[in-house]
Amino acid sequence: MRHPRRIGRVSASGRKVRLATAAMLLVATTVTACGDGKDDDAKASAPKAPATIPELTKDPLTLSFIWFDWPPAKALEAFANAEYKKERSNATIKVNTVPNANWHDAMFTQFAARKTDFDIAILDSQHIGEAVTNGNILDLTDFVKNNIDVAAYNPYLLAAYGQFPQAETGKRDENASLYGLPLLGDTWTMIYRKDLIGDKPPQTWDQMISAAEKCQADNPGVSGLAFHQANGSDAAAVTYNTVNGVYGGNLWDSKTRKIDGVINDAAGQEAMDVLVNKMKPLTAKGSGNWFIDEVNAAVAQGKACIAFNWIAASGGLLDPKQSTLGTTREQILDKLGFATLPSQKTNLVPLGGMGMHVSAYSATANQTEALNFMKWFERADIQKKWAAAGGVPSRTDALESPEFLNAGPFNQVYTDSVPRMRDMWNVPEYARLVNIENTNVNAALNGAKKPKDALDDIAKEQQGVLDSSGRKGGGGL
Amino acid sequence: MSDPVPLTTDHPGQVASATPPAPGRSRRLGDRGLAVAFISPAMLLLLAMSVFPLLWALYLSFTDYSATRGGPANFIGFGNYTAILTSAQVHTRALTTLIYVVGAVGLQTVLGFGIAYLISRRTHGRGVLTTLFLVPMMLSPVVVGLFWRFMLDAQFGVVNSMLGSLGLGQVEWLTRQRTALLSLIVVDTWQWTPFIMLIALAGLTAVPKYLYEAASIDRASEWFRFRTITLPLVWPLLLIAVLFRAIEAFRLFDLVYILTNGGPGVSTETLSFHIYKVAFLGFNTGTASAYGILMVLVVIVLTQLYLRYLNKLKEG
Repeated sequence: MRHPRRIGRVSASGRKVRLATAAMLLVATTVTACGDGKDDDAKASAPKAPATIPELTKDPLTLSFIWFDWPPAKALEAFANAEYKKERSNATIKVNTVPNANWHDAMFTQFAARKTDFDIAILDSQHIGEAVTNGNILDLTDFVKNNIDVAAYNPYLLAAYGQFPQAETGKRDENASLYGLPLLGDTWTMIYRKDLIGDKPPQTWDQMISAAEKCQADNPGVSGLAFHQANGSDAAAVTYNTVNGVYGGNLWDSKTRKIDGVINDAAGQEAMDVLVNKMKPLTAKGSGNWFIDEVNAAVAQGKACIAFNWIAASGGLLDPKQSTLGTTREQILDKLGFATLPSQKTNLVPLGGMGMHVSAYSATANQTEALNFMKWFERADIQKKWAAAGGVPSRTDALESPEFLNAGPFNQVYTDSVPRMRDMWNVPEYARLVNIENTNVNAALNGAKKPKDALDDIAKEQQGVLDSSGRKGGGGL
Repeated sequence: MSDPVPLTTDHPGQVASATPPAPGRSRRLGDRGLAVAFISPAMLLLLAMSVFPLLWALYLSFTDYSATRGGPANFIGFGNYTAILTSAQVHTRALTTLIYVVGAVGLQTVLGFGIAYLISRRTHGRGVLTTLFLVPMMLSPVVVGLFWRFMLDAQFGVVNSMLGSLGLGQVEWLTRQRTALLSLIVVDTWQWTPFIMLIALAGLTAVPKYLYEAASIDRASEWFRFRTITLPLVWPLLLIAVLFRAIEAFRLFDLVYILTNGGPGVSTETLSFHIYKVAFLGFNTGTASAYGILMVLVVIVLTQLYLRYLNKLKEG
């Protein structure tokens, strides 16, 4: 007698077949998702760019950049499409932007996938170490030798935006490899209210604090100071590093890779004390999460006597539509002054700005176009045009040109600041080092930690990061 | 006229085998084959998007792999797990997350149930009120975070402006240790109280009316009726809503990212936010995978305990 087959029950052999099928599917998925494993086994080192530019394509091509969303990104796209197209009519420039807080992640997650939707990464100078060590960007050393007039630059700017291993402050190692070329120079400018503290800017840090104190007392509703304090990006870290430099401190000893005992030495402690106990009380209530935009808003609304901000982000301050200080640019400039940072024990200023770096995962035609663009961009005439368009060039001749100096009231500040610049650590561990510093300085500024404890924690945790390379497990904690 | 096809049968196999195959249908593709063909795309998608990443993360959690550094993934046993479980940083984030979950879910439960109870007693406008209360839940957490960030701004925010007009001083909502965590709890409560309210309202609507009628015949007080009829009948449903919200709150990331970025210092960094930093600041993929697996385990264990309690409640 034949029994009908029951629905919902499977024989033992049927179950085995299903299990085997499921296992095979899982293995197939795994193999597909993992690829052929070549990526994992690839040696991590930057591939070399050709010394001479190969033949360029005649087909339409889009050269893509990645940057964060701020006015210079829009200026670059407009400038490059207007000028570069005159020589390469088939090329279109696209500057993709992400919020500042996602900038590092947006670039390095694509690098991690070994596939990028950008051809030129605009890296912060401190990102170079991470990108070079991971083999994410091209080695431009031979290309630069053949195509770029290195003598036309302040050597430190070339080193800061392209060299790895890191340059000592103000020096360039002629034998070191270059992985990028300058795109936008930047540093902090002191923005001060001429109508409230006088035409002459304070010359020392102590004078600056006194002037801010008096201005705040004389003008109710206006705070003495405005500066970056947020715990995102590198906001609070740059603020502390600036004060640390001015008071004669050091961030680390790069030769011995020693941080503990260096950043928290007497000079470092004094800098932290000045920042938390003398400068912070002169800021607006609730300004503990301020970064570029908030500082600019405070200045534009007449709520700060003295402020510190990046030069490249200061253009909007002169826009009458965004300001309550005047109805014309001239009226605003009657009230606002821009000066180099005051000095104290040293005259160091923070190095900002970024360089251009070619993605190692971009198509060959796009890499070739990227090299051609960089060669074009670093030409003397183009650098002056970039200056006139609102950019901050890096060639010395462009920095001293009337096109640059007359383009904005803060451009002279940049030219004067170039010999005084100091950068942070340009090492693969940068992202973690800056996070430690940001969160601890932010905690000290907002009363979540005592200044001394915060500085000691920075020293201890950062040293832990540098020393943890051989640790088995728990990397990143 | 053909005979009607039986809708149910005690012997479905017999009916299926008795039905002749539809014209044009391949003889090799039976009902089972068809079923497999229909569910395979979903199964494959599930395998590729859910099962595989979970197993891959489990594998990576035992290695020192980094997504950006490349190179082989070296097996390090339970090294990542030991480091995470003994890390003071992780303990701090766990405590912050616990305070946040208890505070936010507790507040949402009380408010959500309270609002649902009040709405359920209304006869007019109940639908409009319910819809209005649901609006916050329909917004993206990022959008919610952004506008609350403006509203809570110490200098220009509308909240401080209102406090000022009442003669109260400025409060640094997002930049002080205690107020920052409180702000996160308040914003999350504003957005997710409607969820609890909705489930509680469903429970309240399902309470049989005759129980209240019997209680009113016995002249039972309002409080007595609430304590002995309403609450016991709605309680199991409310606990399920609490479970969903607790799991959601446990993995909070977006509001922290937008409102406080974990600050001041690291005082509002939750476990999820910390995993993000471990995974993307140093690209320590192995450690981040172990961290994620541990969080999943914690959720599973706590959920199981909670469900057991719910089952006991049901049996009781």
